[in-house]
Amino acid sequence: MTEVRTGVFRGFGKREGLLPLAARLLLGAVFIYASIDKIAHPAAFAEAVYNYQILPGPLIHLTALVLPWMELVLGLFLMSGLFREGSVFMVSALMVIFLSAMVFNLARGLDIHCGCFTTATDSTDDAPMVWYVIRDGLFVIPAVYLFHHTFRGKGRPEGGARITDDPEPSG
Amino acid sequence: MRHPFHKKTWRAAWQSAVIVILAAFMGLLWNAFRTDPLPLVADWSPEDRLKTSSGESLIVSLEDARSLCTESEAVFLDARSPEEYARGHIRCAQNIPWQSFDDHIDRVWGAFPDDAWIVTYCDGEQCSLSEDLARELMAMGYRNVKVLVNGWTRWREAGLPIGGEQSADGSGPRGNDAEGAEMSYSGDRPLKRPGVSNPTAQRPHPRDTSG
Repeated sequence: MTEVRTGVFRGFGKREGLLPLAARLLLGAVFIYASIDKIAHPAAFAEAVYNYQILPGPLIHLTALVLPWMELVLGLFLMSGLFREGSVFMVSALMVIFLSAMVFNLARGLDIHCGCFTTATDSTDDAPMVWYVIRDGLFVIPAVYLFHHTFRGKGRPEGGARITDDPEPSG
Repeated sequence: MRHPFHKKTWRAAWQSAVIVILAAFMGLLWNAFRTDPLPLVADWSPEDRLKTSSGESLIVSLEDARSLCTESEAVFLDARSPEEYARGHIRCAQNIPWQSFDDHIDRVWGAFPDDAWIVTYCDGEQCSLSEDLARELMAMGYRNVKVLVNGWTRWREAGLPIGGEQSADGSGPRGNDAEGAEMSYSGDRPLKRPGVSNPTAQRPHPRDTSG
């Protein structure tokens, strides 16, 4: 019942439940998908970061350049199962930060004052911002689940961390 | 192991550090090899943002804006939503909501010559509506467009004349005459700021050729 695999690649090829697998594949895909457009258009993304009006000016470009790559790396790690603890922690932290930023701006009515999310004229009022918050909130659910599963579940690195052929421990 | 959480915490820490370093390295490398790399540190202050391509500042001071308004030397355009405009606005301003600019574009074209002095504003130091509106107007051919940064808040706090609902509670000297202000720029005279000449050649309005 001891862990056999350790080290950098310890997460690779482990047995795991269907739910955590689905959660990390879904989140990983979302992160990779989200990163592509930002990586391709850093200036536009910098504008978006600026419009959040949370970061100080000197940090905006650095964030716009590094954050998309962080999402890509995290997405790849999540989907592959490498760096499990680090990627789950970072993804959870990012999701919380993203959601907080959105709720913060929704609360101070920034979309109304600044049109931060409106590039076209199809926006009537604050409905899009609410939609972004709801969508982000939905993605937080698998992130929280993964976090709990990774750090709090069963006292083992993963639900199926052992590479023996034993069935899942029942209690 | 009895207390794997600590071990996992340690792993999460160093793996997170590796992820951040990896992402930073890749992001900066990617930027360095782009044809139009972003400067790593940029000043996003209004003074830095609000410049023309030739480096000329788009910002108008509150004092200049005040005299432009009271002397009727410039068109003031409120880029915020109609609701915000109705609640309160600079007395001489009319509402061109940036979010529905296409619905108002003809009103602008019909009313103002392209050498008219135009001041756009919205609310908040970092509000980008006024900048977006100003840049679109310049793209349309207007040559004398300025932005009053954080216009509504500064104007109101300076106790300058306002219109809209808020002017009814005594914060403005007179009632709402925004509609009157709107009619005072019918395009029959070129609006030009005294003492400033604009030697650039007349460019025809793109829309004039169609009509």
